[in-house]
Amino acid sequence: MSLYVQAIVNGFLVGGVYSLMALGLSLIFGVMRVINFAHGDMMVWGMYLSYWLFVTAGVDPYLSILVTGSAVFLLGAAVQKGLVNRILDAPHEMQILLMLGVALVLENVALMVWGPDPRRVSTTYALSTFWLGPIVFDLPKVATFGLALALALGLYLFLKKTDLGRMIRAASDNQIGALLVGTDILKVFTLAFGIGAACVGAAGSLMTPFLPFSPSTGLFFTVTSFNIVIIGGMGSFLGAFVGGLLVGMSESLGAVILVPSLKEIVSFVLLVLILLFRPQGLLGSGR
Amino acid sequence: MASRVKRAGVDRRTVLKGMGAAGAVGVLGFPAVLRAQVKEIKIGSIQPMTGPLAAIGKTTRQGNQLAVDHVNAAGGIKSMGGAKLTLVPGDTQYKPEVARAETERLMREGAHVLVGAFDSGTINAMIQAIKQATKPIPLMIDIGAADQLTQQGSKYVFRSFVTTQTLGRKGIEYMLEMFKISGVTPKRAVLLHVTDLFGQVQKDRTLEWHKKLNAPFEFVEIIAYPTTTQDLSTEVAKAKAAKPDLLLAVTRLNDAILLVQEMYKQRVEVQAIMGPGNPGFYHPNFSKTLGKLAEYTLDNVPWYNPKSALTQKVAADYEKRFGEQLTTDSGWAYQGVMVVADILERAGSTDPDKFVEAGRKTNIKDHVTSGGNIQFSENGDNIGASTAMIQIRDGRARVVLPKETAETQLVYPVPKLWERG
Amino acid sequence: MLRLGLLAAAGAVLVFLPFWVPSTWQNLLITTFYYAYLGQAWNILGGYAGQLSLGHAAFFAIGAYTSAVLASQYAISPWLGMFAGAALAALLSLGIGYLGFRFGLRGFYFILLTLAAAEICRLIALHLPLLGGYTGLFINFTPNPWQFQFQGKIPYYFIALGFLAAGSGIVWLLQRSKLGAYLVAIREDEDASEALGVDTFRYKMIAYALSAALTALGGTFYAYYQYYLQPNTVLHINHSVDIMIRPIVGGAGTILGPVLGSFLLELLGEFSRTYFAGGMAGLSVAIYGVLLVIVVLFLPRGVYPTLAHLMRRRRPGRAT
Repeated sequence: MSLYVQAIVNGFLVGGVYSLMALGLSLIFGVMRVINFAHGDMMVWGMYLSYWLFVTAGVDPYLSILVTGSAVFLLGAAVQKGLVNRILDAPHEMQILLMLGVALVLENVALMVWGPDPRRVSTTYALSTFWLGPIVFDLPKVATFGLALALALGLYLFLKKTDLGRMIRAASDNQIGALLVGTDILKVFTLAFGIGAACVGAAGSLMTPFLPFSPSTGLFFTVTSFNIVIIGGMGSFLGAFVGGLLVGMSESLGAVILVPSLKEIVSFVLLVLILLFRPQGLLGSGR
Repeated sequence: MASRVKRAGVDRRTVLKGMGAAGAVGVLGFPAVLRAQVKEIKIGSIQPMTGPLAAIGKTTRQGNQLAVDHVNAAGGIKSMGGAKLTLVPGDTQYKPEVARAETERLMREGAHVLVGAFDSGTINAMIQAIKQATKPIPLMIDIGAADQLTQQGSKYVFRSFVTTQTLGRKGIEYMLEMFKISGVTPKRAVLLHVTDLFGQVQKDRTLEWHKKLNAPFEFVEIIAYPTTTQDLSTEVAKAKAAKPDLLLAVTRLNDAILLVQEMYKQRVEVQAIMGPGNPGFYHPNFSKTLGKLAEYTLDNVPWYNPKSALTQKVAADYEKRFGEQLTTDSGWAYQGVMVVADILERAGSTDPDKFVEAGRKTNIKDHVTSGGNIQFSENGDNIGASTAMIQIRDGRARVVLPKETAETQLVYPVPKLWERG
Repeated sequence: MLRLGLLAAAGAVLVFLPFWVPSTWQNLLITTFYYAYLGQAWNILGGYAGQLSLGHAAFFAIGAYTSAVLASQYAISPWLGMFAGAALAALLSLGIGYLGFRFGLRGFYFILLTLAAAEICRLIALHLPLLGGYTGLFINFTPNPWQFQFQGKIPYYFIALGFLAAGSGIVWLLQRSKLGAYLVAIREDEDASEALGVDTFRYKMIAYALSAALTALGGTFYAYYQYYLQPNTVLHINHSVDIMIRPIVGGAGTILGPVLGSFLLELLGEFSRTYFAGGMAGLSVAIYGVLLVIVVLFLPRGVYPTLAHLMRRRRPGRAT
């Protein structure tokens, strides 16, 4: 029994971080309709920046999210401004190709800069835990979960309360409408991609205290982000969060109930079911 | 890395100039013999330099490179008038199609012999390229596990690595010896393994020899997890629930770190964490990253003989140059090129068929790797190759078994992960 | 007339090509043809019907595994087994298509459905002992043409070329058929075609099944060219990407697109490896990525459409 509870706890905590990373993707897709194949690789860059700051300057990864978030913001904005904005009127599949190219570049430049060996940010608290009866809680995961939640809330407020945020949401809801009211849509796009990338960059930093990573880590997270966004609902804030938790838990429970080597199948099956019966996602509102 | 490649390039050019001079002298002296001889022998080194196995590719390439430099420093291939070896690099990207394309590219660029490539799937693709070539060249599999690789009827394929049978048998044999030495016998074991070819084969062989040799413990749980995994907390919880005395694991690199971290966090108490053949535990990065938690981890691996003078020199050279310990990957990659050099020396020619002929007669007594004389069976497997049981001690992998080559005393059962100060 | 002449000349060159080029270049040609063929198969669904699929590795693998298992377990020649594989793949595609199209999934949603389907297939295949599980399936080499196994690369060259010619022929016929016109209409505006009475569901299903079956035939070729199948390779998302990118680069929905795209990408791949594989690890792949980005930026409509556009501009009277 405690094994199941433990699995739920583990899945829940992992899911929290998945959520933040998926929020970024949800935003990018929601506004630009760009399928960001480089999403996981942008996260890996966030991880490496955190690692670098930790090793060279001793900056705690929970603090360095400010730097990594901004840096990956710039990266995302540059990709949108320098590349995606140039091919807006090309067939849609070209954007996929473009992002695949960007993903290859990001992964392999990371390989050149940091080498292939796995890295780990060994903070003093990296291995701390606390116990509730027979159930163990991973302290960094709990902290990461909390911070991810806070960041998501901040983003939510930004989108709801500020003019810029409202502009982004307007563009997401109706591109032509936004154009008509005179929004500089290209600027909004650049900003939105930047913010989406910043989310995933920050998520990367937040994961470094418990996750060893290497340049090839990205693809798994790209695919996982896709899953979560569909399950939760594209462009839905709460959706990305619930989706993240669901995917985290389904993998964790899948490892207990099925065999662990099949754990990923649960979230893919969930994805297919959602696509069929509720394609707007659990919490999405229409398409 | 870049500087190393560059250095190799400079070496090659200077060497060539030198060779030119030597050649001129040679032509005057023994014109008939030397004119037909090659001055440069190209060794194609095809390794997984990018993708998920890049960390391994880095070390195997370093091993290949060091061997080439050692051969050259010792005067090259003497039977060919001191011809020098040149390393021609290739990258499999961990994709069979790319491995095949790279094989053909290196053949096109004049490679005489190939070495590589760690992953059996990509090695198989290389073998196909060789089999289909109009002018096949020999392949020395420096590391590669699947039995099938040497059973494809190509005489050009050699494997200086151990077979999975040996790996599986030695793993259980060493365990039995450990139990005898320590007087502690575990009852319950959990086997965790990653779902790639190597994980599967290691699991099968371990179970096979566990039964054949009547090992005293039983496997209470076998947990297979995906190669892409980024979280092992539930797998470890499952392992913990099975209350194992012994945790056996076949992992890659990232997951080796994840596994031990999780075992610490969840306070899983075992007599030892041991690889029956695990590419994650011996990698220098494992102990570098995990520090104290990596200590006492055991691994049955194709290793080297630390008592031999030759090995000590090679290990010291390697460490000086690349800043990390010589391990399975680098050691056997080194050995692969050395075996090639030995065969070339005896063949006296880069002709593939002469190479094969000489290869069959290989009998190398003084070598770096663990096991007896290097000799090849009819299908090209190294029958002398064997393994050692290593244990991480003070941040280094050290041989604890077999006793003849042990560097330090075995510690078993090991101290708890969370009681190491 | 000019076109026929060009076609005949190109055919003659291609027939004699393998006897001229050295053996170590032949693999590059074979891979080019073979990916062009797969691209052509993908093109039917992704290009003409406009339903982007990121799960064609599933059909590919079904073709590869079916013929390999039938040959090794039941001694059925892959020449026959490949059609069994194609039938199975078509069946699966109809299943996925039924679900996807019935529920009206388009764009990103359809892409992810196909991706998820392929991933589910990968995970199942890893757990099927019949397919060799994680160890994969090694195919024994017996140089017997009836077993789809040949000595030397020239037979493979002609088979790959034949596949490409046949695949392109099918697409050419499709392009001129009513079905093709319907597919293009669906791609351009699905709702409008529906309103005009086109049974979009039905035609999308046909396109999907045809695309899947042809892809599966290509899988058989792969199985007997590489002699090893492992789910983490043949069913990997990267493999679906490999199948998809060539027709996109060349120009999706055009007959020459997959061919040009395949040539271009094989060249870029070989170029980046030849000149940069000796550098830092990762450099060659990063350069390949940069080249991919450059191709997209400079040929945002694909190679063929851009070329065709240029030609039209140069010869205003000869629009085709």
